[in-house]
Order: sequence, then structure tokens, then C-alpha cells
Amino acid sequence: MNAPAALAERIRSGDRRAIGRAITLVENASPGSRALRTALAEFVGRARVVGVTGPPGAGKSTLVNALIRELLARGQRVAVVAVDPSSPLSGGALLGDRIRMGEHQADERVFIRSLASRGHAGGLARTTGEVVDVLDAAGFDTIIVETVGAGQSEVDIARLAGTSLVICPPGLGDEVQALKAGILEVADALVVNKADLPDAARTEAELRTMLELRRRGPKTPLLKTVATSGQGVAALADFLAQRPLRPKSAVHADELTRLLSRDAFGAHLGIEFVGGAEGCATLRLRVGPQHLNLWNGCHGGAMFSLADMALGLLCNSRGKQGALIDAHMTFSVAVKEGDLLTAQAVEVSRTKKLGIYRSDVRRQDGTLVASLTGTVYLADELSPR
Amino acid sequence: MPERPPKVIVTKIGFDGHDRGSRVVAAHLRDAGMEVVYTPPWQEIAAVVKLAAEEDADVIGVSSLATDHLLVPKLVAALAEAGLGDVRVIVGGIVPPHDEKRLLEAGVARVFHPGASLDEIAGEVRRLTATARAAREGMAP
Amino acid sequence: MNARTRWEQAFAASPEAHKRSVNRSGIEVKPLYTPDDVRRGYAEALGFPGEYPYARGIYASMHRGRSWTQRQLIGLGTPEDYNARLKHLLEKGATAISLIPCNSVYRGYDADEVAVELLGTCGVVVNSVDDMQRALDGVPIERISCGLNDPTPFTLLALLLAVAHRRGIPSAAITGTSNQSDCLSHFVANHMFFRLALPGARRLLTDHIAYCNQRLPGWNPLSVVGQHMQQAGATPAEAMAFTLCSAIQYAEDCRARGMDPDAFLPRFTFFFDISISFFEEIAKFRAGRRVWARIARERLGAKNPACWRMKFHAQTSGADLTRQQPLNNIARVAVQAMAGIFGGLQSLHTDSFDEAFSTPTVEGARIAVVTQNILRDEAHLADVIDPLGGSYYVEALTDEMEARIKALIAKIDAAGGMYRAVEAGLVQRMIGDSALAFQRSIESGEQVVAGVNAYQVEEKPEDYRVLELPERKSIEAHIARLAKYKRERPAAAVRAGLDALAAAAQSEKENIFRRVVEAADAGATHGEICACLRRELGFGQPLCIV
Repeated sequence: MNAPAALAERIRSGDRRAIGRAITLVENASPGSRALRTALAEFVGRARVVGVTGPPGAGKSTLVNALIRELLARGQRVAVVAVDPSSPLSGGALLGDRIRMGEHQADERVFIRSLASRGHAGGLARTTGEVVDVLDAAGFDTIIVETVGAGQSEVDIARLAGTSLVICPPGLGDEVQALKAGILEVADALVVNKADLPDAARTEAELRTMLELRRRGPKTPLLKTVATSGQGVAALADFLAQRPLRPKSAVHADELTRLLSRDAFGAHLGIEFVGGAEGCATLRLRVGPQHLNLWNGCHGGAMFSLADMALGLLCNSRGKQGALIDAHMTFSVAVKEGDLLTAQAVEVSRTKKLGIYRSDVRRQDGTLVASLTGTVYLADELSPR
Repeated sequence: MPERPPKVIVTKIGFDGHDRGSRVVAAHLRDAGMEVVYTPPWQEIAAVVKLAAEEDADVIGVSSLATDHLLVPKLVAALAEAGLGDVRVIVGGIVPPHDEKRLLEAGVARVFHPGASLDEIAGEVRRLTATARAAREGMAP
Repeated sequence: MNARTRWEQAFAASPEAHKRSVNRSGIEVKPLYTPDDVRRGYAEALGFPGEYPYARGIYASMHRGRSWTQRQLIGLGTPEDYNARLKHLLEKGATAISLIPCNSVYRGYDADEVAVELLGTCGVVVNSVDDMQRALDGVPIERISCGLNDPTPFTLLALLLAVAHRRGIPSAAITGTSNQSDCLSHFVANHMFFRLALPGARRLLTDHIAYCNQRLPGWNPLSVVGQHMQQAGATPAEAMAFTLCSAIQYAEDCRARGMDPDAFLPRFTFFFDISISFFEEIAKFRAGRRVWARIARERLGAKNPACWRMKFHAQTSGADLTRQQPLNNIARVAVQAMAGIFGGLQSLHTDSFDEAFSTPTVEGARIAVVTQNILRDEAHLADVIDPLGGSYYVEALTDEMEARIKALIAKIDAAGGMYRAVEAGLVQRMIGDSALAFQRSIESGEQVVAGVNAYQVEEKPEDYRVLELPERKSIEAHIARLAKYKRERPAAAVRAGLDALAAAAQSEKENIFRRVVEAADAGATHGEICACLRRELGFGQPLCIV
């Protein structure tokens, strides 16, 4: 088995060290990170991603702590990505958020990773999305991304999380005005934490007024919690449970499934969609009698179709329509009836008009059976049928 | 791409709670451009090992002022046990001379005493980060 | 040209004239002080010793009448080890005793709950009434004052009372102090003594003060601690100001309970650090006394002059000691002790020179005590009351320190009081900033530390003598004995005691400390009492601010 596949397998088995190392790889876009993401792609898209943001002192970490407790009690495994700002002067960072999650530090069902924002404007680290994908592939049921509310970060989180929670401490005053500006536009729910404090009722009333003034968009729910006592946390977990796993716009899986469902030839061959992430798509085919050649091996054309379709999905997403103009395929190992083939396509390079893609086909044991390299001409999207 | 910053854990194990030294060192390492994960005192050894794995740390700095350093050999052994033998461990604080020898024999990379300069500590952490990463290159990821 | 102008010109011509000097509290120190720097009148600013506002000392006769108490803290190993050292001290004429428990006890655990390597290395392992009995074997607790390092929930006092009960001594005869009862200072600066979440610790402390006021007339239930904060990096002005803010908070909690300030304030005591910044420390103590007198009289409304007096124990600063050339520390401790004595302390602990690399050895501890004797008996520092009073510099600096202290108190008041300020991390952040700034001044060489950034010599640290740690065998035997104790005690009574303790914690009205005393008397151990209250009131998770 090759190195990325081996690492992917360790990640899937819950090896904490491997997950930690893999996060460093993708966090730093180190050599090997792309191959790793490819190897993990088919396992991405199953976790619920929750963004938690709010001003300092809102009790975010305490609330995350309480939420972890509730989710553990519901039998989940939980990962947290805690993002702290890097110093613009030194580039260094003090990653202290996990301090306040002390209660769950040692729990085997919990994985906490601190990230420094490294000057990324959104307040989220540039590669947070990839880090979330690794944790998703590692099988965590919920991934909580916590950041200090610093203007842009809420918008970044909204692109990543199926649910964005904005935590409001009582007695906000002027900060409510600031909230109005940006955060409310992307919040899927406002949470008034420390709801037992005297100012809480007033804050709640102010926020309700503000929500009512807002004309467009869906009605944003307002939840109340007391993180220190756990009050309201079960209701919050219930709310999360009925939310989408990831935001519609960012879920490649959704988009790719939609595209695949319109591809008649793919349906005819029995190709299934497995998973997708940024710059990567994975499809699967169980080899049946209808795929066999004269010698009872899998027909090269079937494998070409599988690889080509994975490649096609990738270049047809993101508002572009791709046309394969040249391709080359190498077959290395024979495939028999009953084998389960997986094709993973990755983007090797991409300019405005031309993309180069590779699509590897593997057997269930991980052996590479065929590999396709193709050049695609990218046009602006025509309306698909 | 510039070299990624060292990732350092600054922690305290055992019973003691005096954290002036660990706070000053953590703040200085941050200002020296490092990414520092800071923990409260009284960490269990298993929790530090888990932390090192999750954070993919290069160096762990343990502050000890009241004989807690006696537990550090256990930490070094537990790291090795968990496949984290490449993570470098340094100790700072009040460590009697004969204990320092024992710590170094147990695999601690360096012991800093009261009066050590912050820049010296930062320099050593950088050097150890390089050796930790080199060791890791040689290992399966 | 008048004399002053002549001096100014002559001074300005000297090469050193432009060197600035700023003390640890951030006050710029002038090259010369004159009568122009002392503006307030004698009676208003100073008065006489033993009289309001007590700048010159809280008693009329001060050290001339009665020397300060030499209170060296001890504690190591098993109760028997501790008892042997205690008897040795009593034979040498000690009139008061102290007890430092093992760090496992500080953290709220029994010996059978923790890593065995650390047991007894920094204090004595006391978990049960039997342990306390052994620790105090042959010690006349009805006649001797006991200083117990005993944070919330004050189990050591409870065990001491249980021993008294077994010996037939009435609790009213027990005298001493609950050191380390100040939960705020632990929360801010020294997590070591922090066991319960802040709200629970706060309630227990008020219960403790109420209980002691009613039943233990000879006991000081509260020592408000500035020492931890200054050791954590607070400047002398910050340490004094924050300590007084804590005292205000505790006094207001007691008043809210319906207690009378004139009854509880005389039992408030203070505990400060003495750094080597000599004049600054003297000014800190003189200014602090004056500020507290006004707070107690005007803000807290106390009418009894005993309430206005800031009684304090002080300890020389371990943070100033160096591992390099350790014998230099003897000189440092002497200077620190002098500052404390001139500052008018009531009780003094001098550090051992070897604390920078070891738990103090017997020799180190002896030199520390002798240092006090030399200052008093050979150097005659105690002969004149407030001997630096009237120094233009000391009086001007006292005024400036007072202004800084008052400004810091106003800042904490504006943040809603000490509890609010520490929960928001405000105090921790200020102390952390001061600690980093001070360390940087050492790094830059601006602050000289002999042996560290100046005057270094080649040394062989492996030749330093360090304390032998207690034998593992005796510690292991102690753990076995604890198991036997737990098997053989009356289980039903212990159960009932702990149940009553839990019920008191839930009741919100009942005095919890009373139930701690009863549970200890029934045979419950320190670890069991702490575990019960951790469950009921929450664990003391530290708030770490960097």
C-alpha cells in the first residue's frame, strides 16, 4: 500500500497520532497533503460541522464544553478545531482555547486541535476546511469549529459549517450594533449564553427586535443556554441534529451527486457516487457480468468510463463545463467479476481554460489497477440538461 | 514557503500550581514566532500524551517548581510508548543537580534552571524542533 | 544663586545625571529628596505608632516592646518525620508551630489517590485524625499557636479540632491561624491551593469565618495573601492593592451575611511578600497600612480600632533568589528581611538560601532563622520604632505608593469588585504583563541580578547540597496504614458525616464548615471531604490567562 493510503487507513482506524500528523500535513499544504486528501475523499461528508463564534467573554469555550458533554452522552465522537489569532508582528500564537475544555481533554472520544490563524483575514486559518475534512474522514460525528468573532470569520465559518452559531453574552450594549452589521447575516442561530445573568432578558429582547427588523432571509432562531449548569444545551443539540451536515453551497458531495444523477451513461453502468472534497471526487463500481470482456476480465472501457466520470464530475463542478480533449490510460492489473473498483480524480493543475486531471482506479485491497491522465478544456457552464 | 513555526506545548504535571514561569516562557515563545499550546497545571501524563498527538507537537516544555519533575521520566516513557518518541521534552524550574542527571538519562533533552535567559530557551526550542522534525522524516508518517 | 540651584547645576554636570531609575511599581525615583517632597503634615500623614492612620506601625511599642514572631514554615514526609522536626524546634524554644502539608493534600487528595513519587517531598502527608494525632504527638496544642497552611474547605483545622476533642481540650482553647484561606489569591496567582470552584470556595470561606467567630475565639480564620500575587509577578503596588481589594470583598461578603465588622475585622490578618527592592517594600507596607486603616474605618464602617490595624506576616521573596552562586542568597534574604522589619511586620519567615534548587536543607533553614536573630540582636534593627520615618525619600515614596495603590483599587472597584475582576481575568492579565516586563528587564540587563546577568563565575552545581527526600519505604508504610485506618473506622458514622456534609452544601443556608468539622471528627479523611465538596460545589478549574 502506498504512503497516503497507509496514513489514510490509520486515520480511519482512529489512530490519534496519525490524525494529528495528517492535520499538520494539510494545515501546511505540505508535500503529500494532496495525495492524502485524495485518499480520504471517499470518507468525507458524513460529519456534522458546527461553527461557534462570538465576542470574547461570551463563554464560547464553556458552551462548547457543555455541548461536547451532551453529544458524548448521545453516543457521539466529537472533534473540536479551536482557532486562535496569530500575532501579526511575530507570527507566533498562544493557543489557549483548549485550556477551557479541560474537562474533555483526556476523553478518548474527543479530539481537540488548536490552529493558529496565521494572518488569514477571515480569522479562520486558511486550511481549516481541509483540517475539518481529515477529522470528518476520521469518523467523528460532530466537528465543532470555534473562533473568536472578529468580523470576517463568521462569513468564513458559514462556508464551512452546516450550522453557524453566534454566541452572545448578556449586556452586549454597543456590541449588539456591531453584531447587526455582519454576524446576523450568516448566523443559523443566535445563542444567548449566561442566560441566568440579570442582563440576559434585556439582551434577548434587543436581539429579537433586531431579528424582526431584518426583512430578508429566513427567520433566525434564538436559543438560551447556561453553559455552566448545562441548561438549554440539550435543546441546542436537538436544534443541531435537524440541521444539514455542511452548508449547501459548499457540499461538493451534494453538487456531485446531483451532477451524477443526470449522467445517463453512468447510471447505465451502475456507477455510484462515494464522496468529494475540494479538488477531489470519488466514484465506485462493483464489477458485474455486464462489465466483463471476452476473457472474463473487467472490460477496459468500463474502467475508462469510471475514471473518466470521476474526472468529469470534478471539472464540471464550480460553475464550469469541461470537455475532455485528450486522455491516456494505463492498465496495470487484471480485474475480476465481484471486485469493487474505486476511482479518485484529482486536479493536477488548472488554469482559466485548461485543467489537467488524474484519475486512479483501485481495487478493494488498495492495489492500483489503472490510471488515467486527461486534459480538459474548461468553458463557462452551459445549462446542463 | 517559509518554514512553519515550531509547535510547542507548555505544561505542568503533578501537584504544583505556580505558573509564573510557564506563563512567562509561553508568552516569550509566542513573541519569538512560535505556536504555543498552553495548559493549566496538574495535567495527567496520559492527557499530555494525548495532547502531543492531537497537536502534533514538536517540543513539550514542562515547568516544575516543587518536585513534580520526578514524574517527567514517566512522561518520556509514555510518549515513547505511544509512538511519540520523536517529540522532544525539556524541563524548566527548580531541579536539584542529581535529579537533572536522572532526567537527562531518562531522555529529557534539556533542563533549564532559574536564571536561564528567555532567548536561550527559545533558541533551544528551535533547535530541538528541527531535530524532532528530522527524526519524524525518518519515521512512517 | 541659592543652594538648591547650585546643587542642581552641579548634579546636572555629572555623567550619571541622566540615568533614569524606575522602581518595580513603575515609580520614577529622583536622585535626591528634600523637604519639598513631603507636603502633608505629620499628624495627618503619619501620627504616632499605634494610632490612626498607623503609617508608623500598628502598635505603640512595635518591635521595641515585643519582637516579631519568627515563624518558619515546616513540613516534610510522614507525620512521624514532621513530629520529630517539630519537637526539635520546640526544644529550641519555638513558641508557635506551623504545618505545611504535602502538595497532594493541597490538591485535595489522600495519599492513596495520587502518584507515590511526589508524596511527602514538599510537605507532610496528613489525611486523617490519626495522622494529625501522630503529627502533633506530645505537642501541647492547648498552649501553642498553630499556623496551618489550610485552604478551603479547611480540613486541617477540622482534623486539629478532632485531635483536641480526643484529648479532651475545649475548642475555645485552640489558637492559631488558617493560612492560605484566601481563595481569591489562589485563583489568581497560585493554583496550588485551589480546590473548589470559585463560588463554592467563596461560600465556604464565609462559613468558616462565621464558624470561627462563634466558636474559636483564639483562631484567625482569614489571612489575606499578597504574597502569591507578588511571587506570580505582580509589582509591590499591585500586590498590596489587589490584597486590600480581596479583603474588602471578604468583608462585604461577611457583612452581607449579617456579621458585624467590629466583630470579624479584628480577626483579619494579611500575608505579604518582601522583594529585594528595599525602599519600595518599606514604602509598600507603610502605605498599605494607611490605606487599610481608611478602608476599614470609612468604607467598611468599623468603629473598633482593632479593625483598622493591618496585621501582617511577611516572607522574603523566593523569586529573587538565584540558583547561581547560591550563598549570595543569604545576603539577599538579609536585605529583604530588613525591608520587612523597617516596614513594621508582625511575623517573619526568612527563606533558605538553597530554595532555588532544593526543598530547604536543615542547614539552610538554620541560617535563615539566624539571619533574623542577627538583624535584631547584633544589628539592633528593632530598637527604634519606624526608624526610616521622616526620611524625605521614604515619606515621598510612601505617598506615591499610596496613590498607586488607591488608583488600582479604584480600577478593581470599577470592574465590579475583586470576584468580578478575577473571573474576567483582569487581575491575572495585569500580573502576567508585569511578570513578563520584569523578566525582560533582567534579559536586557536593565535590572542586574548578580550571578545571572552580571558578576558570573564558573560553578559546579552538582556540588550543591540538597535535601534527601523521605524514604520511599516509610511513605509506602504510611499508605498501607491509611488503608487499615479506612477499614477499621466506624463506617456508618463516616458515611453519615459525609452525607450531612453533602446535604449542607446543597442546602444553601447551612454552615458547610460546621459539617466539615463534624465529618472529620467522625473519621472521614481529608480526601473524602474534598471529594464530597468537589462533587457538590464543583472542581476548582483554574482560569489561566497568558
